[in-house]
Amino acid sequence: MPLPTPLKGIRVVDFTWVRAGPWAARWLGTLGAEVVKVEWPLNLDTLRQNRFTVPPGVEPGPNSTGQFADTNANKRGISVNTRTEEGLELVKRLISVSDVVIENFSSRIMQRWGLGYEQLKKIRPDIVYVSMAGFGHTGRYHWYGTMGPAAQALSGLTHLSGLPGAPPAGWGWSYLDDTGGMYGAISALTALRHRSATGKGQHVDLSQMITGITLTGPAFLDKTVNGRQARREGFPPGNRTVWPGAEVVNNYRGPIAAPHNAYRTSPGGYNDWATIACLSDDEWHKLVKLMGGPDWADSRFDTIDGRLEHQEEMDDHIEKWTSTMGKYELTEKCQAAGVRAMAVQSSQDRVDNDPQLRHRDMYVPMDHPMLGPWKFQNAPFKMSKSPARIANPPPMIGQHNREVLEDLLGVTHEDLLDGYENGVFWPTTMDRYPYIEEALR
Amino acid sequence: MTSPNGNPQDGVDIGGARPADLSLPGALDGLRVLEICDEKGQFCGKLLADNGADLIKIEPPGGEACRSFGPFLDDVPHRERSLSFWHYNTSKRGITLNLETQQGQELFKQLAATADIVLESRKPSYLESLGLGYEALSADNPGLIMCSLTPYGQTGPWRDYLSSDITQMAGGGQMASSGYDDIDVPNPPPIAPGGGNSWHIGAHYAYIGLMAALYYRFLSGEGQYIDASIHEACALTTEGAIAIYLSTGEVVQRHTGRHAAPDMSPAIQFPTGDGGWLNTTRSGTNLTPARLRLLAEWFDQSGMAEDLNDERYQDPEVIAAENDHIVQVMKNFFMNSTLMDSFHGGQQRDFPWGAIRTMDELVGDDHLTDREFFKEVEHPELGRTFTYPGPAMLYNGSPWRISRRAPLIGEHNSEILQGELGLTNSQLLLLAEGGAI
Repeated sequence: MPLPTPLKGIRVVDFTWVRAGPWAARWLGTLGAEVVKVEWPLNLDTLRQNRFTVPPGVEPGPNSTGQFADTNANKRGISVNTRTEEGLELVKRLISVSDVVIENFSSRIMQRWGLGYEQLKKIRPDIVYVSMAGFGHTGRYHWYGTMGPAAQALSGLTHLSGLPGAPPAGWGWSYLDDTGGMYGAISALTALRHRSATGKGQHVDLSQMITGITLTGPAFLDKTVNGRQARREGFPPGNRTVWPGAEVVNNYRGPIAAPHNAYRTSPGGYNDWATIACLSDDEWHKLVKLMGGPDWADSRFDTIDGRLEHQEEMDDHIEKWTSTMGKYELTEKCQAAGVRAMAVQSSQDRVDNDPQLRHRDMYVPMDHPMLGPWKFQNAPFKMSKSPARIANPPPMIGQHNREVLEDLLGVTHEDLLDGYENGVFWPTTMDRYPYIEEALR
Repeated sequence: MTSPNGNPQDGVDIGGARPADLSLPGALDGLRVLEICDEKGQFCGKLLADNGADLIKIEPPGGEACRSFGPFLDDVPHRERSLSFWHYNTSKRGITLNLETQQGQELFKQLAATADIVLESRKPSYLESLGLGYEALSADNPGLIMCSLTPYGQTGPWRDYLSSDITQMAGGGQMASSGYDDIDVPNPPPIAPGGGNSWHIGAHYAYIGLMAALYYRFLSGEGQYIDASIHEACALTTEGAIAIYLSTGEVVQRHTGRHAAPDMSPAIQFPTGDGGWLNTTRSGTNLTPARLRLLAEWFDQSGMAEDLNDERYQDPEVIAAENDHIVQVMKNFFMNSTLMDSFHGGQQRDFPWGAIRTMDELVGDDHLTDREFFKEVEHPELGRTFTYPGPAMLYNGSPWRISRRAPLIGEHNSEILQGELGLTNSQLLLLAEGGAI
């Protein structure tokens, strides 16, 4: 018998779209909650339209993008027009039998629908309501819009990344959509624990942008406590802890250390790089021994001051050595010698070449109705008694209308069919997909 | 002024959720957590403690090594002055225990019998080797939840690999997505963003696992063991890179300040006249005729619109054809404006742009002040109070709070070992002299 899931019995009404919100609800689903994603085909989730992730040979459409698939696995989906009285009424009925409502609209949208926290509480007194607006629902700029990159910029995270004297490199993806999603799940789960203990629900007003600020603690305190200028020479320090020639101050990536960098490896392709970090003199001497005790690695480098002073020369020599081998070979040699190192891994490396992720079942195979045999990202933790699970592919749009509306909410089959004719469950201007026709039979 | 979408601006209607009254218990009130963590797990402990858990941090005698991470208060290096340690250990109490001594192990077991959660980030199997693994600790405390948060997890070929923040970001894929276009930096390396974020990413997932286990315990009464991996957490945190590869076999290329992607995309970061940078996001500018008119009217106020008010731009095809010119006009405007004026001016016209703020702009920000984000934390031993970052979310039913500054080394030895475990003065003395605390 399969083990039970930890969030058994929890039902989540998921109004989220794009990435941060759906990613939050995705983890609640992966932990066993029943997540019902509420959509409307005329306001398609942008991930259903992601042009980069339609596999060759698959017919493009809202059910055919790989990025939507992984971001919305383990959910069910319904299509309901909340701008109709009947649709809104059904959504309220769904909320009345649910534990969590989660959304990432602009700050006043739910209130305009009549679904702000005060109204939700009337529908379901112990509801846990998580809102995930960019600036949050509270504060004078609550209505400002953000997507991941803008949120990262505003939070101070972007400024932490890059080479000195160059433009900010920032984060090459919406880190705050991933992490904003984490905080959405964190908010819901924390409030559920509070409900378990007290019987009370609440509104958790999350700001995606502010999640980033909470990840800059040491830089934040360096400003408020020490008054350190954030814009300063040698900052950000690239992949190093201190840029050569710059003042030796801690630049917020753990202890000051050298070597601490990315080095080219053989055969010199786009992602043929590996990182090495020596956090102590002892680790440095292990690296020197591994490199065969070259003449250049003399006593000037014995201490951290010397290694910082001669960092360019040291890094050039190290890179000559790393360039003679592949990134995995380098990683294995360093690790065997007690030196911290790891290959820079691309997406392909992680999926195809990483023996650790393979051993830990990171990519779980499951069939998807449009994409065929597919891989879904697993939870990064193993729970001994109630594991997370990849149980269902993402919903095709409106796929579960019948089971949710009829079986759960008690809509009669006749009313369901009517709703398809009058624009409540599907736009009258749009053809229905075959799976919808099939379900209505 | 009202924004074009009818939203109020500046000081009007700042209400959404109000943070819960501090007299109420936090969401995790009543939970006891033991934390044996260095830089890898201490942030997860902070998330628990600021939500009201009674968290006891157990450090080796002399304190965790990460007390020596700078920056330091007034730049004076000292293990009680690490701002990094301060930030990551708020709301915790702290004791010292040498877990490699029998007495230290016994005291730890006594404490574990009172705990709901044990959170640890030592090397795989280390605690087990001391007789302090999950089986031993849960034998008489079946509701105990224990989470080990380690670089690569407890199993697999890499489980004993050494790591640091940058090596985790290499293996996890953060670096393969972050960096530069050649035009900005010739032959650019992949870049590991700073700030210790591999540890944050691991901590977030560990927290989620712990909360899920708490709910399961609420249902079943059973505790359990959670084996969490920073490597896996990081591997999950590159947004679309994995989905793109699985879908098309394409590997993303790095671009300056914007999404790594299989294709080349237009630059979106522009310098401002005061030395800042504005991120206009790839899809955020989306110039329709109506939106271009908004920009042109705005730029015109400072005589910087050039020809954008011309009627011919009220045609999407002209906008597309003249994109390079329009971007040049925007760049000129930004170079003659300031970072924050460009940002607010854009947002007030529904352009969801972001100023690349530093702490220089962030600290004291009005919106954050409205949300009571800046938290004054007292350091009684110094007779000083410092401003800490608050929470990302406002819980309106259970307050988030920094209940105390990070513990000094062994600060609560007497309070916990004597007050709770009933040790006498002389026992405490003998433990200290014997190196157990």
